[in-house]
Amino acid sequence: MAIHERSLVEPERILRKERLVVDGVDISGDWNLIILPRVINDYDLDFAKEIVNSPDGKTINQCYQCSYCTASCPVHNYWDERYNPRHFIYLARLGMIDELQKRADVMWRCVSCHKCTHRCPKGVLVEEVLKVILRTMAKKGLIDEYPSKKFDKFFTESVVEYGRIEDGELLFGWIEKQGYKVFKDPILKKPIPFIGETPEWLKQLTMKPLKSMNIDFLILNAKHMLFHPRTKNWSKFKQVLRKVMQEEGALH
Amino acid sequence: MAKSVLVVGGGPAGLAAARTLGKLGVSTILVEKDSQLGGNPIKNHYHTLIPRKLKPSQVIGPYIKDVEQNPNVKVLLNTELTACEGEPGEFRVTLSNGEKHEVGAIVVATGFEHFDPRRKGELGYGLYPDVITNLELERMFSQEGKLYRPSNGQLPKRVAFVFCVGSRDRQLGVTNVHCCRYGCALSGLQGMEIREHYPDVDVFCYYMDVRTYGTWEYPFYWAPQEQYGVRYVRGRIAEITYSPADGRLRVKHEDTIVQRPAEVPMDLVVLVLGMEPSPGTKKVAKILGLSQDPDSQFLVPSDESGSNIISNKPGIFIAGACKGPIDIESSFSEGEAAAAEAATFIGAKVTV
Repeated sequence: MAIHERSLVEPERILRKERLVVDGVDISGDWNLIILPRVINDYDLDFAKEIVNSPDGKTINQCYQCSYCTASCPVHNYWDERYNPRHFIYLARLGMIDELQKRADVMWRCVSCHKCTHRCPKGVLVEEVLKVILRTMAKKGLIDEYPSKKFDKFFTESVVEYGRIEDGELLFGWIEKQGYKVFKDPILKKPIPFIGETPEWLKQLTMKPLKSMNIDFLILNAKHMLFHPRTKNWSKFKQVLRKVMQEEGALH
Repeated sequence: MAKSVLVVGGGPAGLAAARTLGKLGVSTILVEKDSQLGGNPIKNHYHTLIPRKLKPSQVIGPYIKDVEQNPNVKVLLNTELTACEGEPGEFRVTLSNGEKHEVGAIVVATGFEHFDPRRKGELGYGLYPDVITNLELERMFSQEGKLYRPSNGQLPKRVAFVFCVGSRDRQLGVTNVHCCRYGCALSGLQGMEIREHYPDVDVFCYYMDVRTYGTWEYPFYWAPQEQYGVRYVRGRIAEITYSPADGRLRVKHEDTIVQRPAEVPMDLVVLVLGMEPSPGTKKVAKILGLSQDPDSQFLVPSDESGSNIISNKPGIFIAGACKGPIDIESSFSEGEAAAAEAATFIGAKVTV
């Protein structure tokens, strides 16, 4: 059966089966289409309890939905209205998983400016609470691993290996992980900037300051890209660090 | 001028007025239509009173004792005011027991009654045993000392409070458009009591606004949320249904923050009742010619006074919930203030 005004119904609520038998009666054909209702049937309170019970999620109970945080949030104000810390807190407290999942593509976009936490009149540690919500969702397999988490891992690996990061490697390595084809020199296997694929935003971001940059600084950066700087005596420290991280379950 | 005062109503405000008048040495007649003193808190077995979390017996008990023991106060139970003639300072009142008295002033403290939730049929009160009123929950705590589902006697897993039943509701006519003032705070308190004794029971408050005014904000709104984990969901419950499949109720509402309809299972639903003027208040207003709010029918104070215990009739003072929703400690203060006004009105010489 056709749906009039299909644009009013979200695709995930339209259920169409090749063959549908209800109470032994085959109703395939014209009647095989179901539109699922928008009704919230229940709360997932186990999810909510897990957040409250985690040490950094406790303050979620203090929220009274005034939206001071969202009004202050740069991501909400300048990027996407769907990023709404106040709303995420409400959804998480009642365990409305499907609503959170709808926003999974924006939820990780926090820039950690901490305006929300700083201004909250109820003392909710908003930024921490949002991270707990994300972490709990990832742990329960309710969202795919989110990009900021991937970046954190990549960053951590670099620090553990060398004792410090190298900007070029971090940037191009990260671009590569996002699926861009980065051109590398055949011997050292180091990325050569701007020869392979480069995202448009990066070109815009770097070209302007590049023109006005000191040539010595550029040479230093190129050197660092070829020969990764590392912290003094790092190799011994690295072994200890890896061992501790292994024991604490922080290494993935 | 007659040297006695008539107090109509034996609830908190009337008791406080009679007690103060008695202590001032003024001859006082207290009429109460019920068979006991104490008014709604005693009659309906309230468990804990807001805002100081004391028991009614602790708070109202001493007032009753003082009134009963004071030789200046004549308490007439099962008695109503039926007629009043005469001028301010010389009222000739007739009581339902046939007695006639001459009094110099009258204190009206006829109070309120709780809304009857059967008038909101969609909420299923009287139809489903697990839909109860907040009065019945108070009685459960105070008389039976335990929380249970009336349908099977078992402990509920989830309790929902439905705010504003019979309040802020034009559907009921113009009479119920006011706020009950106590409901938000009492629900917070009851939610805390449930969570304290049964930590595994989840409590939900369905609200439009949370009006825990003044100093009640922290103890009756913040504390339930922060310390006891009571959950507040924004949306007015529009219908309560029952599912035979699992024997649980469904509260139908729109979650106005998520902007989606919801039908969530609940085991026990508590209706937070509004306040209406008692039949006695409406009757006394007619007998004494007191001005009433055209919508709610509550008594209204004189336009010429900034004080809210001064009525439109000289010599008649109004105290407590006959003027609209009020908390018990304010009822006491108003009764005491009305007593002082009545005593000065009749020119009583204080003989403490």
